Amino acid sequence: MNKKYITACIASATLFFGSCKKQLEYTPTGVLSSADLTSPAAVEGLVTAAYAGIGNGDMIGPIYSMWAYGSVRSDDAYKGGGGTGDVGEIDAMEHYNLVTPTMDAFVSRTWKNLFKSVSRANVALRAVDKLSEAAFPQKQSRLAELKFLRAHSYFTMKLLYKNIPIFDENATADDILKVSNDLSWEESWNKIAGDFQFAVDNLPVTQSQIGRPNKYAAQAYLAKLRLFQAYEQNATHKVTNINAARLQEVVDLCQSVISSGKYSLSADIANNFLPETENGSESVFAIQFTINDGTTAGRLNYEDGLNYPHGAPQYGCCGFHAASQNLVNAYTTNASGLPNFTTFNNSIANLNTATVDVRIDHTVGIDGHVYKYDNTKLFSNSWVRDPGVYGNFHTMRNQQLATSSSYFKNGPFMGVAKNYDIIRYAEVLLMQAEAYIELGQPDKALPLINQIRARAAASTGRLKKQDGTFASNYNMQPYPAAGWTQAYARTALQWERRLEFATEGQRFFDLVRWGMAAQVLNDYISVEKSRRTFLATAVFTAGRDEYLPIPQSEITFTKGLYKQNPNY
Amino acid sequence: MQRLFMIITGLLCSVIIFAQEKAVTGVVLHKANHNPLAGATIAANGKMAVTDANGKFTIQASAGDLVTITHVGMKPVSIKLAGGMQNLSIELEEEEKELEQFVIIGYQAQRKKDLTGAVAVVDLAPVKNNSSGNVMQALQGRVAGLYIEKNGGSPNGTNSRILIRGSNTLGVNDPLYIIDGIPTTRPEVFQNMDPAAIASVQVLKDASAASVYGARASNGVIIVTTKNGGNTSGKVNLQFNSSIAAQSEKSVRFNMLNSVDRGRALWQASVNDKQDPAAAYGEIYAFDWNNDYNNPVLNGVTVKPFVGGDPNTPAGNTDWQDVMYKTGIVTNNSLTASVGNKNSSLEINLNYLKNTGMLRYTGYKRMSGSINAITKAFDGKASFGVNVRVANSNETLTARDIGGEQTTFLAVTLAPTIPVYQKDGETFAGASGGGYSDRNNPLHMQYLSRWDNANRLSTFGSVFAEVQPLKNLFVRSTLGADYATYLNKTILPTFTEGAFNRTTNSLALDQNKYLSYTFSNTVRYNWNINDEHNIKILAGTEYINTNLDYQYTKKEGFAIQTEEYFTLSAGTGNTYVSGGSTGNRLFSLFGRIDYNFSDKYLLAVTIRRDGSSRFGANNRFGIFPAASAGWRIDREAFMSKQKLFSELKLRAGVGRVGNQQIGDLARFGLFDTRYGTNQNQLTAGFWEQYMNIGTAYSLSGANTGTLPSGFVQTQAENPDLKWETTDEINTGIDFAILQNKIYGSFDYFSRKTTGILITPPVASALGEGQTKAVNGASKTNKGWELVIGYQGERRGDFRYDVKLNFAHFKDKITELPESVRPAYAGNLVSTIIGHSQFDIFGYKTNGIFQSQEEVNKAATQIGAGPGRIRYVDINNDGVINDLDRTWIGTTLPSLEYGLRIDLSYKQFDLSLFGSGVAGRKGFDVYTVFNNLMRSRENVGPGVFDAWTPQHTNTNIPALTLKDNNNENRTSDYFIVSTSYFKMRNIQLGYNVKAKTIFTSLRVYAMAENLFWFKSKSYQSPDPERIDLQPIPVPKTFTFGVNASF
Repeated sequence: MNKKYITACIASATLFFGSCKKQLEYTPTGVLSSADLTSPAAVEGLVTAAYAGIGNGDMIGPIYSMWAYGSVRSDDAYKGGGGTGDVGEIDAMEHYNLVTPTMDAFVSRTWKNLFKSVSRANVALRAVDKLSEAAFPQKQSRLAELKFLRAHSYFTMKLLYKNIPIFDENATADDILKVSNDLSWEESWNKIAGDFQFAVDNLPVTQSQIGRPNKYAAQAYLAKLRLFQAYEQNATHKVTNINAARLQEVVDLCQSVISSGKYSLSADIANNFLPETENGSESVFAIQFTINDGTTAGRLNYEDGLNYPHGAPQYGCCGFHAASQNLVNAYTTNASGLPNFTTFNNSIANLNTATVDVRIDHTVGIDGHVYKYDNTKLFSNSWVRDPGVYGNFHTMRNQQLATSSSYFKNGPFMGVAKNYDIIRYAEVLLMQAEAYIELGQPDKALPLINQIRARAAASTGRLKKQDGTFASNYNMQPYPAAGWTQAYARTALQWERRLEFATEGQRFFDLVRWGMAAQVLNDYISVEKSRRTFLATAVFTAGRDEYLPIPQSEITFTKGLYKQNPNY
Repeated sequence: MQRLFMIITGLLCSVIIFAQEKAVTGVVLHKANHNPLAGATIAANGKMAVTDANGKFTIQASAGDLVTITHVGMKPVSIKLAGGMQNLSIELEEEEKELEQFVIIGYQAQRKKDLTGAVAVVDLAPVKNNSSGNVMQALQGRVAGLYIEKNGGSPNGTNSRILIRGSNTLGVNDPLYIIDGIPTTRPEVFQNMDPAAIASVQVLKDASAASVYGARASNGVIIVTTKNGGNTSGKVNLQFNSSIAAQSEKSVRFNMLNSVDRGRALWQASVNDKQDPAAAYGEIYAFDWNNDYNNPVLNGVTVKPFVGGDPNTPAGNTDWQDVMYKTGIVTNNSLTASVGNKNSSLEINLNYLKNTGMLRYTGYKRMSGSINAITKAFDGKASFGVNVRVANSNETLTARDIGGEQTTFLAVTLAPTIPVYQKDGETFAGASGGGYSDRNNPLHMQYLSRWDNANRLSTFGSVFAEVQPLKNLFVRSTLGADYATYLNKTILPTFTEGAFNRTTNSLALDQNKYLSYTFSNTVRYNWNINDEHNIKILAGTEYINTNLDYQYTKKEGFAIQTEEYFTLSAGTGNTYVSGGSTGNRLFSLFGRIDYNFSDKYLLAVTIRRDGSSRFGANNRFGIFPAASAGWRIDREAFMSKQKLFSELKLRAGVGRVGNQQIGDLARFGLFDTRYGTNQNQLTAGFWEQYMNIGTAYSLSGANTGTLPSGFVQTQAENPDLKWETTDEINTGIDFAILQNKIYGSFDYFSRKTTGILITPPVASALGEGQTKAVNGASKTNKGWELVIGYQGERRGDFRYDVKLNFAHFKDKITELPESVRPAYAGNLVSTIIGHSQFDIFGYKTNGIFQSQEEVNKAATQIGAGPGRIRYVDINNDGVINDLDRTWIGTTLPSLEYGLRIDLSYKQFDLSLFGSGVAGRKGFDVYTVFNNLMRSRENVGPGVFDAWTPQHTNTNIPALTLKDNNNENRTSDYFIVSTSYFKMRNIQLGYNVKAKTIFTSLRVYAMAENLFWFKSKSYQSPDPERIDLQPIPVPKTFTFGVNASF
């Protein structure tokens, strides 16, 4: 009896020990390892994820909407919102002198999000590279697309931070932690340009899926890069030389895009700002967003989600991104229908009497004017959140009506499924015009600029009030050939870029490219602070404020590998 | 009739015997060591005597008298004097108290006096009545070395932090619970238990005691044993406990401004900023002032009549704390029935707890029950038992507004000018127009969440069989299961409130199912070699299999908004579904040998080998050895003469334990598909729902429809991942002096934890999903615990006991690979090495700049100016920047202590219990709202003491709405002493003399958190309320009854 007990105990114990190895296994469910991701279908999935990566920014770490970095930091707009303390990081940027490397929202989140996007491209590049062309016929195109996506992220990062670490898909984790941010101006631009050049060389002229870049998109983006590269900066961001060879590249690349015949200006500039007409003839490359796509809320652009009128009941929140008085003034025109280059800011424009550029009503929310092409609910000063601080103007280009099928209200904020245009054809024209002017061929720029103006002047179809009248007195004309000197053309080109892309987040980077940021912005502040007292302490410091600081956390994470940008 | 005769005879005899009274002498000795006992009381027939130093006494008594001998700490003895008894020798045995208890030490029991490790036996009597319904919360401050922080006054009574001997690791510091032999890491299994059903709770503190639990024991082990088998009388015993409590947070409210005062503060801050106050706040207030920024004078502030100009919403003067809170009522009823005989016993417990919640529209209800049954066969050679406990709870807790802020935070901070209701008195009002935050009316949010419910059903139990095939050989097999389901229902109705609305309603069900089963087998052998040598051997195996399945379902579009209509199939809008599963396996072998030589020398050796599925093939198995020894000095011959010590034991142990608290899948490199995920689905937060992190993308350019989706790396692989290892040395002494009047123990420990599991953030350049778990750090932790008790003299009907406990621990990080350091507080110059992760890193301040000259002379500080806080240039480089941060405080105390006094007089008993912490410098949350201006949130009256050129003698900086000086940064401006002592529990009971039905009946009144002491520099009312999100810890008044029948 006793022996039986013992025998049974030993036997069961042995059984138990014997099976323990297998019992210890646990296989994860619903997830994959990199070994599972080698089939062409899975690799396509990695490519898709890399596309998703360029749309994976967020409100406090934007990577495509440059409203805070490119618009609020310029003379186009104020932060807006509920007082200067509301999302204070942007207020710091608007004051320039309050920016610190330790700001944990924008400055560091944008850096992080852009590198996430870079890494998705690199992960996919490594996977695509391992497949043979036989197994994966689209290999070359996908490699080119991924390099395009990677270059797009690096380009954005370069505009924001200037001194960035750049590496490719072959860099291991150990390698990456040895790549500093000390590349020269030429080296860094050329590295990014290498990716775009690969894309130019390997992308088809037509993609069956419109969300993918084609050869011309790559040429346009490379042109944009070479244009920035042409204005060579020294270590403290001073433009020391304008490189004619680079400008000629811009001319040629733009010409290739223009000659392709694939693109044209939309009949109405509004088509660029409405979801119904997205991916139109003017869209060279855009980030695709969707709604009612089976995700919780849609894959939406939330980066502009704070920027809706505050007091209007259909929106409710949050009144960020208010147009500046300076911008509104810049839209006024003289009797010849041309901008008031020197006098525009002498006084506050009286919009009841002044003549204006048509684009003002595509850009600025003004009391009694049609807002976002809806003449049933005219913009009202009561929609403005903090008029005492930020005035009565609002912005609208990247907003959609609350009734739009692309609009989604999520909590207090909003998202839209409207694509975000990275390059539209108007910019190709203006880039070529700019290159021509700086190359001393302003005459070739004149028709390009006038093409832009003609389209803008014709874009009044959606601006009529219900009684059939316009709220503004439009008068805009093409530039005459007479007096079209290089200097005049330069001013006109700069003006045209500002008005054509106002509040789209380009202005600040244009000013830095032209080497004019300190002068233009301090001039702007000196007048604007008498209108908007919150700007009283704002100062732009040349040699520092052209770029954001390298996030302190990243310097710490790399044990001081990265060098801080000058004067931070 | 016969009995009556005997009584009469007895009475007659006593009269006769009285006449024969004579002097009786004797000696009283300690039974264990035969030492004479001084001070023993001898009572006979109304006469009293006391023993002298030699234990001798003389008393006048007669044959037949009942002589009672009593002594503090000893069991009283009564003897009947027989004729001829003259020289009595009476031995008293110690009362069964601390040192005589049996202690469950892991797969077996041991006498407490044979313990060689650091094990605290929790005194359960005082926590039997507690209003929170959470035993663990009731233990706060009562057990030396068990540090508990409250998670506020949430009706479900959960704790926020439980540390045994401080913090050993950088991650999860939760202990392992062993309940009736079955391990669980879910604290709620213990927290939900009815104290009436618990027989004992032991805390294994040091590694030598805990190492038999191996890879999961490094945070300490709490062993809970439930009641069973106590009743062998064959009769049914019933025990009934019932109480009703009222909870109020009134005494810990923050003082916030009323409507007009907030306007005054906003005016001052605006003019300081040279900004027109009417520009930002003109829709809320009319400011009557001289419009001179250089010499501003305010004549008056009036509140504009309507919020956002809406005539339906007259402006209010709302005290949101008053609106949001009410008195909470907690009722707690429990019934325990037990029955048993020599061979079988059964104990059944039922408990119902209901807390109506102090925060409006919240509440918690819990029903729980347990059955313990045990039966023996073959003359006790085989025993079989089962115990099952089930707890079902439903709770509705703090709601969030549409931006994700908790109503508790809004109750403190929402602007007072927003009224609760519109003019009609029933429609909820909200903010609209300029000058307000994007926040909602918290009462409205809480009301809208009134149908939300989190249901938890927890079933925990085991069956066992134990046989004794040979004498002293026990073979035991136990199968246990820990099963829990969770179903959280969230209903979001549509609403409009002020400028805010929700236009799509939804129902979301978040559910999961957790099952962990344990199969353990042990063999024990007690080998009594001879009288002197005694060896106990234990060997066993344990297999633990844990799985968690989770699902999330959300449906939108409900035509009718009633609680009943919100069911998944009634919705007509979008549907979202997600889910998955995870799990782990653990297999262990273990053994223990106890050696006892003459009850003087004790030795214990344990070893455990654990294999875990959480760790890579390279490091799957770990071995955890321990050894400890004890020396009962009081049993030595040379101690027989001394009288001071009645108990003296030295203990020492070394041991190794592990910690595997890391995700089940931490070792894998993982890719995941994220179809349209936003960050909020992974980590909750305000902005997270607006962060795209998905892998789907519309390549076709279509604006709607199903998207192609891909994969993203979410975690990097680490095949070398292993458990953390904690090595510990523990030395202790247990003592009792003056015939056990004073007793106590002292333990000192020193631990070192290596290979701490961490998942550090990495340089962003490495890309997405490149974080991984690593064994990357070391910590040391040293400390001591002291327990001292005093059993007061019994004087007639009055008795009292005092018990004190103290504990200290100090942990610091000793090693952290450079690549990991950036994840913790610190900068390039000053790292966390040498500090705890609970230490606070920030700027030092040095008062307020009084003039522009001072600013000019000081280090360059962005935003500096007169009236602004001056930060200290630690590194003297002339610039205030990141490198000027340093260590400025800690959130853990250097000393925790508790004091308990029990008094009784006749039928009354009174117990007082208080505990506190000392040596803690932490964050005072009220400072942020009382000293600094908030542009959107309400503030406290401290802002009226702010710096102005005319009022410079203050520590409150000039009011500003812009905060260019970034004064919200972590700095010692907010760090003050957070030490406190709280009178946690005062209980007065009255024992009703047993009537026919009741064997005992006690009624009591109890007050919790009645008063406390704190540092003057700490502005918040309650030092335990360290942030605004939790519901405050209430004052509680309870009335209850404990009855047995």
